[in-house]
Amino acid sequence: MRDTPLSNCERRFLLKAIEEKKRLDGRQTYDYRNIKITFGTDYGCCIVELGRTRVLCQVSCELVPPKDSRPTEGIMFFNLELSPMASPAFEPNRQSELLVMLNRQLERCLRNSKCIDTESLCVVSGEKVWQIRVDVHVLNHDGNLMDAASIAAISALSHFRRPDVAIQGRDITVFSPEERDPIPLSIYHMPICVSFAFFLQGSYLLVDPCEQEERVKDGLLVIAMNKHREICSIQSSGGIMLLKDQVLRCSKIASVKVSEITELINKALENDKKIRKEGGKFGFAESMPKERITTLKREEAPVEMADVKETANEIVNRTETPTEVVSSPVLVAMGTAQVGEGIVNSWGLDEDEEDEPQTEDTKTDDVMVISDSEEEEVVILNEEAQKSTKLSKRK
Amino acid sequence: MAGLELLSDQGYRLDGRKATELRKVQARTSVFAQADGSAYLEQGNTKALAVVYGPHETRGSRSKSLHDRAVINCQFSMATFSTAERKRRPHGDRKSSEMSLHLKQTFEAAVLTELYPRSQIDIYVKILQADGGNYSACVNAATLALVDAGIPMRDYVCACTAGFVEDTPLADLCHAEESGGGTSLALALLPRSGNIALLQMDARLHQDHLDALIEAAMTACKGLSKVLDDVVRQHLEEVSVLTRD
Amino acid sequence: MASVEMRLPAVHKPVSPAASQSNRDDKHLVVPGDVITSDTGFMRGHGTYMDEDRLTASVAGEVERVNKLICVRPLKTRYNGEVGDVVIGRITEVQQKRWKVETNSRLDSVLLLSSVNLPGGELRRRSAQDELAMRDYLQEGDLISAEVQSIFSDGALSLHTRSLKYGKLGQGVLVLVSPSIVKRQKTHFHNLPCGASIILGNNGYVWLYPTPGHQDEEAGGYYTSMEPVSLADREVISRLRNCLLALAAHKVLLYDTSVLYCYEASLTHQIKDILKPEIMEEIILETRQRLVEHEG
Repeated sequence: MRDTPLSNCERRFLLKAIEEKKRLDGRQTYDYRNIKITFGTDYGCCIVELGRTRVLCQVSCELVPPKDSRPTEGIMFFNLELSPMASPAFEPNRQSELLVMLNRQLERCLRNSKCIDTESLCVVSGEKVWQIRVDVHVLNHDGNLMDAASIAAISALSHFRRPDVAIQGRDITVFSPEERDPIPLSIYHMPICVSFAFFLQGSYLLVDPCEQEERVKDGLLVIAMNKHREICSIQSSGGIMLLKDQVLRCSKIASVKVSEITELINKALENDKKIRKEGGKFGFAESMPKERITTLKREEAPVEMADVKETANEIVNRTETPTEVVSSPVLVAMGTAQVGEGIVNSWGLDEDEEDEPQTEDTKTDDVMVISDSEEEEVVILNEEAQKSTKLSKRK
Repeated sequence: MAGLELLSDQGYRLDGRKATELRKVQARTSVFAQADGSAYLEQGNTKALAVVYGPHETRGSRSKSLHDRAVINCQFSMATFSTAERKRRPHGDRKSSEMSLHLKQTFEAAVLTELYPRSQIDIYVKILQADGGNYSACVNAATLALVDAGIPMRDYVCACTAGFVEDTPLADLCHAEESGGGTSLALALLPRSGNIALLQMDARLHQDHLDALIEAAMTACKGLSKVLDDVVRQHLEEVSVLTRD
Repeated sequence: MASVEMRLPAVHKPVSPAASQSNRDDKHLVVPGDVITSDTGFMRGHGTYMDEDRLTASVAGEVERVNKLICVRPLKTRYNGEVGDVVIGRITEVQQKRWKVETNSRLDSVLLLSSVNLPGGELRRRSAQDELAMRDYLQEGDLISAEVQSIFSDGALSLHTRSLKYGKLGQGVLVLVSPSIVKRQKTHFHNLPCGASIILGNNGYVWLYPTPGHQDEEAGGYYTSMEPVSLADREVISRLRNCLLALAAHKVLLYDTSVLYCYEASLTHQIKDILKPEIMEEIILETRQRLVEHEG
């Protein structure tokens, strides 16, 4: 299916917002979205969520004869697939430019930087070596697939354990995980890609673009670094004109971000190791939060509560008393309420009118967070109301 | 490749060059009579051939044409005899697709495509002998071919590779230096404005050395642009001598 | 028994600038990116662009200045049509009420159904039946000669064949040369005294055909005679074709006089020898000399 193009007014809006240093989701220019890394029950399986972008990576291994030109080294094979479930624009078996670019960048980031010791993958020189296969599947596309894929790949590689082998003469015995503990791969360093999107002929840049920002971008600069401040690969694409200072500045920003992300990966790996050792439940099923069908899943969004009381008081003092006195909410049914009467229905149809309860204006000093459910803010408008009104966004 | 020093103590490289010396560049334009523009370029032992057709009406699917700009169509391929071992798949594999994509994006930025709405410009580049710096040779050859075809461009696009060995940046790497495992950076530059059209780097490099490396590559590109300039001017003079009214 | 000719690669001889008689100094040659002038009083023409108040060249060629207009003419370019040019083109598509004609320009030219003469020479409004019968007039692959009527806003040319001298071309030889070496003249249809006729299209397509014996009432230019052409005529046309290729290789401007002189200079050689580089040079030298005498 062809990709629906972004409308001109959306494009203009995005570019205007970027000029004023604002982003759609309220982030700052150099902020990443929330990164969540979870591991599966098998070693070497990892899901990374970067905001709403979701990427799954699986590492597997196999004994194969080595390449003729390198008889003592193991083989690494990378494959990235854009699954059609990620976006309606992705068609199966179609070699699009995006696919080529992502694959090549992943290869360059992980293979050329020599982050894995391939010599240790050799079993019998010239005859049998381990071939490590890294498969990355994109499950949901909301921008910045490159970073998510690289984080997933390196986390999965760090998590992976290969079976132990014993060599007796010409016989190779491969032990199953029950017989002997599998061995982790020897990873020298963790290269992570950081993407910078350029807009308006290179005058503005953003880190971690979301999908809509990606559509209006002029070009992309991907820098892969590790936490020792070594650059593993740089790739500019999209035909933008860069200046040398821009590149140097981006590399500095990248080093900061990479160290943060490496921290996160290490923490996730630690957690997983701890849980497995303690015998607790691990795997994907445990990491998904319990969801009921009737409610939407929303993440906790931090709300700026620093000087809420003062701002609220100011607003209250500044505003005049409302001309109309709004009646207290009337309970229509459990879980819903109605404030006011609303305008007279002019369509002649029988519609239930359920107005959204108004939040931050006149009654804000009653704001209290009651329950710790996963919905955003639970607001009690009126102390007389027995039930709490949930802020559900109605479409 | 242990034992082969990329930079000897006296400062000489494997082929006898100094650290910042470029390889010999020779080029000729208008090698094909039937194409709109063509060029042949040799950079040391790397030989590249570029042919440009266009601008012409979009053949194939009408939907590919853009209403306000020309579409640039690029194809990069390496001859099967270009490398030491015979290449099985000259084009269609991932590396060639990526190179074609980068060439396309580089030239989309340099060519004034707004002057040719609904047209298509085809650029075909072939490497006849690969000895390091394949992408750079392609970009340089394609620039000459575009100039030969009379397609308006902002400026020349010059490309060169640079490497880093023991704190010294090396300019214009040959195959042995590239595959030795050290750092290699490929840079495409518009010399007059200093804008970088494409930047590509592989292998590990500490962040502090990045500045020096980019500087070395930019200087090499500027030197290369002078050579290309000479070639074009000479061709111009020859032809203008022939066509006098 | 056919003969095989072998040739070893020879060093490309650069044309020495001193050999030219024209003044080289007054030619201002530029390459893309060269600043032509920083004076803002000039208007910019083709081949240039404004780069922060500086007029910069975008193609490689000669700077032409007409009063306040500066443009750069590139050496080689696709054909840029002007109204009134004679062009030769090939039909590529038959669409509703028009044909698409390929004319070596950056977009295919358009020949509207209302711009052609109906067979039989009638003058009437084109009906739906005419539209359905378009393929009977001109099909894909036919060669036509036409004149440029107007230019669309995106640069595509609109052609017309509303005169008896234009129309579908029959038997003959097509030679492709660069548009920049065809000289602009009053008429592009010539009947050469050597026994053939030539149409010099401004778009670089040149058509050689045997001079039609007698003009029978042209059925609107669609009648193409399929009578066999005599050997003498064919030899003349082949020789002319090789001469044209020789002139094009040495970038001599093509017009009826230059073609004629070249033909006469080549009479001493065999037709197939004209394409050999040494003989080509000889012929061209002689042609150039005669042209200079003729003008001088």
